[in-house]
Amino acid sequence: MLQSGLVKYLRDGKGFEGTLIVAAVLYLLVFAAFPLIYTVVMSFQEVDMFTLGTLVRPFAGLTNYTDLFHRPEFAPIVWNTMIFVTLSIAFQLTIGFALALFFLQDFPGSTYVRGLFLAGWILPALVVGAVWRWIFAGDFGVLNYALQSLGLIDGQIYWLSDPAYALYSVIIANIWLGIPFNMILLSVGLAGIPGDVYEAAEMDGANVIQRFLTITLPMMGPTLGAVVALGVIFTLQQFDLVAALTQGGPANASNVAQYWSWQMSFQTYEISGGATVATMMIALVIVVAVIYVRSVQREQSF
Amino acid sequence: MNVDHPSMNQIEIEHLNKNYGSLQALHDISLDIPVGAFVALVGPSGCGKSTLLRTIAGLETITSGTIRVAGEVVNDKAPRERDLAMVFQSYALYPHMTVEQNMSYSLRLRRRPKAEIDERVGEAARILGLEKLLKRRPKQLSGGQRQRVAMGRAIVRKPKVFLFDEPLSNLDAALRVQMRSEIRKLHKNLGATSVYVTHDQIEAMTMADLIVVLHDGRIEQIGRPLDLYRRPANRFVAGFIGSPAMNFVPAEVTADGRTIAIGTGTLLKIPRAQEPGRKVLAGLRPEHLRLDGSGERLTATVDIIEGTGSMTFIEARIGSDLLNVAYAGTYETEAGAPLTLGIASDDIYLFDPETGRAL
Amino acid sequence: MKRYLLLAFALLFAAIYLFPVYWMYATALKTSGSIFKYPPELWPSEPLVQVSRVFAEHDIGRYLWNSLLVASGITAITMLLGTGAAYALANARGAKANVALFLVIVLQVLPPSLMVTPLFVAFNHVGLLDYPRTAVVLATAAKTLAFYIVLCRATFTQVPRELKDAALVDGNSHLGAFFLIILPLARNGILITSVLVFLQSFGEYVYSRSFIATRELQTATVNLATYLSANSADWVGLMNYAGIYVAPILIVFILLQRQIVTGLTSGALK
Repeated sequence: MLQSGLVKYLRDGKGFEGTLIVAAVLYLLVFAAFPLIYTVVMSFQEVDMFTLGTLVRPFAGLTNYTDLFHRPEFAPIVWNTMIFVTLSIAFQLTIGFALALFFLQDFPGSTYVRGLFLAGWILPALVVGAVWRWIFAGDFGVLNYALQSLGLIDGQIYWLSDPAYALYSVIIANIWLGIPFNMILLSVGLAGIPGDVYEAAEMDGANVIQRFLTITLPMMGPTLGAVVALGVIFTLQQFDLVAALTQGGPANASNVAQYWSWQMSFQTYEISGGATVATMMIALVIVVAVIYVRSVQREQSF
Repeated sequence: MNVDHPSMNQIEIEHLNKNYGSLQALHDISLDIPVGAFVALVGPSGCGKSTLLRTIAGLETITSGTIRVAGEVVNDKAPRERDLAMVFQSYALYPHMTVEQNMSYSLRLRRRPKAEIDERVGEAARILGLEKLLKRRPKQLSGGQRQRVAMGRAIVRKPKVFLFDEPLSNLDAALRVQMRSEIRKLHKNLGATSVYVTHDQIEAMTMADLIVVLHDGRIEQIGRPLDLYRRPANRFVAGFIGSPAMNFVPAEVTADGRTIAIGTGTLLKIPRAQEPGRKVLAGLRPEHLRLDGSGERLTATVDIIEGTGSMTFIEARIGSDLLNVAYAGTYETEAGAPLTLGIASDDIYLFDPETGRAL
Repeated sequence: MKRYLLLAFALLFAAIYLFPVYWMYATALKTSGSIFKYPPELWPSEPLVQVSRVFAEHDIGRYLWNSLLVASGITAITMLLGTGAAYALANARGAKANVALFLVIVLQVLPPSLMVTPLFVAFNHVGLLDYPRTAVVLATAAKTLAFYIVLCRATFTQVPRELKDAALVDGNSHLGAFFLIILPLARNGILITSVLVFLQSFGEYVYSRSFIATRELQTATVNLATYLSANSADWVGLMNYAGIYVAPILIVFILLQRQIVTGLTSGALK
């Protein structure tokens, strides 16, 4: 009786859909939420190769955090991360927006050609990194050749081994990776602005630039917010490119927080250090994610 | 309707309540639907008529109360266990199935023999004139054809009860009138109990044996169409049933209790004596106002006049009150012209201004 | 006329953007001597197909197979758990459903390179690191699952609600309505999203790099990265490797380009 009641609940009642949600949420709790909490816990513990195998580890208080702040590489890496995120997003967004506006025009094959850009999004970032490494090559790289032909530089730039350029090389490759996604999302937003709004503005005497400033930009506000938030999230996830291009070098010149955290855990086995960086970064990402969800909700009501 | 003989009722609803969180969608609904009746649930949008239908279908759970179908409590039964067929507003045809597959789906789920399925689908298709469309997909059909397929899907099941959720509201006016009489004919031939939700009171009046008027999740009145028209229980029903809608004019019962005085002091004789000095709301149907001034007399001024040839609609002013007049025929006058209206004393309705109850 | 001029510009932009992909294949066709010419040859003057040599030399088949296994496992788990949840979340309303959806979206954004530390320690405890490819599958699926649910939910919200009601009245259970009516109608969206999940997993790097210690079990990304840091002058070999690796991805992309764009645009922001 009890069993048939359960079967009925699952087939006909609210149980069916509830079970489906619970199964997925449980999986996410075990493999995403639990590690999340575990990172925070480890950032307050002494974790290294010797305590790795035990469950109960010495409580370290805020030592991990203070140690981290006193490391000489802390400030440069934080700075690098900020530059990495800011420049990546600024250029992805600008180029993506420009392309989205361009492809909004009516010409044959516009959708198809626009779609070609997504190839950059779909390729594994590690492979993209490998290809860019070859493009950036100092002596025989095609980028140096192109810049020289255009008369922009005289000698060779050692993109990946010169500390002055290493970070910017990673940023350039990351911008390349991020353009298609920005463009597609912004295209969706642009397509959502009804054409008669533009016609009305034209009747009111607004020229192209005025229409862009007074109609397009304000109406794209929520979309731009969402795209920037997603940009921050994706940029802070970027690990493969750094691994393929510079491994954070030379001398941390191109190191960013998400790579540093991994280096500490897996290369120098300072697991508490890795967990501490991860905790701070995850807190940041979650704040951005909340902004993103808010901004999407605002967009839907609009 | 027939509480003494529960077996005569196909559906019995007792003290049904439905809450969505803190919002109460249905308040203490009690309703008996006799076997074979065509019942219309009617009311403005948001009145709870569709919710009530969906609780009968089992698509919505109920918060309290009981629903019986053929004498059996179905509160905890899934829709598939209730033996009801439903026609949806959007038709809800399965886009990936042909017309034939759409119509036979419920029978296939019940594992009926192939021969029986073919026979029933064939019969339904013949009744509805869908024989040539059986192999098509819903996308390839016109709105009217889709509507018929939705009907066919319900018919093949030979269910205890048909539920209709505003089935004609997506059709154009001409088709709607045609389908109205077709559904009516079908009901006559099949004889199955039907519950029909609509916001269109004309649809309800022309099709139903019994009308349930809902408003804000409550039943305002249950009755036969003409009873609702002639004896509305309250101001809401009076205003909802009938087109154009009834005029309401504030009035006061005079000292003898036999007449009422409206705005400008005009006295009208009322059908039944009322408490002298009482404030009331007088209800006058536009079609009851005569242009020849016979009966109780009112003097007005024409504000707006609209003629369609067969009908003339006049918006007339008496003091600060506006009255809509519907006259069957052609009448020529102009805005600002004086107008003498008349109404039979028996056609004057009175309502309590606070509660809205008929007096 | 203006429309064709715009098309010409569009093609020019696409060509500039896709130059790295071209450069990868152009280099793969050069000889190891000709890549060190300066100025570089934009078009290989003596094209040489070296795919099979590189394929055999580096045992690429083994690593691609590992990548394929891992990606299949990830996709299977994601589809199995994600499809139903996406459907239920598309139907559900109210506070609980909002919390679940919020949780899904937030858990989607956690960077793998930050999650890998706690996962490594936890997997080490329970002995999962003895099955490194399974560990990669389980960890990556948590990430793709959230992505999949968000996109598939958008697909399911496009299926009219009344169809489920009609199915229930016609005699289906909730289970039956899902499998017989809703699923066939959402099939295209589900398949495209699964393809995206598969392609993403096929290029997964962080977890594979961190969990898989045995060389024979490495995925192609990890192997390519190792090769990249060890033989950074063998660009012909590297570009051949990279070219072989991404060829299936590019083929799938070209075949499904239109559907992928539609799938992304309908659900990406919602």
